[in-house]
Amino acid sequence: PIEDLFTNLNRHIERSEFEQAVKVADQVLSVAPNDEDAIRCKVVALIKCDSIDKALSTIHSAQRQNLPFDFSYFKAYCLYRQNKLDEALESLKGLERTSETMLLESQILFRLGKMDACVDVYQKLQKSKIDTLEINLVAGLILAGKSSQ
Amino acid sequence: NPIVLDLAYNCIDFPSLENRM
Ligand SMILES: [K+]
Repeated sequence: PIEDLFTNLNRHIERSEFEQAVKVADQVLSVAPNDEDAIRCKVVALIKCDSIDKALSTIHSAQRQNLPFDFSYFKAYCLYRQNKLDEALESLKGLERTSETMLLESQILFRLGKMDACVDVYQKLQKSKIDTLEINLVAGLILAGKSSQ
Repeated sequence: NPIVLDLAYNCIDFPSLENRM
């Protein structure tokens, strides 16, 4: 039964056995091809194994099937990892501005060299409680030539 | 060059499977 597969999947996730997690997610998808949890687990596990290409192709095939799930954040992250920065920003556009979307946006802007915009997003993010944010903020400020602030 | 940590990576999370097991 599918519950046993999810129990197995959950165990692999807890043990950080991400390649195994991908295999079990695929087993779920072979019996329930549109299962959102299984697709999400597969995409996240692929990202955690650094298989960014495969994560993106999994997202694309879900999109081709017109599944009603929003993979925009994962997609934006994968595109960022592939240095497809404009496409990554595009994928973030429709999403609500939360600390996680703003964090990714700021990293993309940093790589694009858009330091003023990057610093701007960081300053909004400072209200949230992301511990190591200052490290990125300092980097952005240095490159923006604002190290005196 | 300053290093930008990939903090967004930490936001990539598995869904809760609690109700699926
Ligand atoms: K980075």
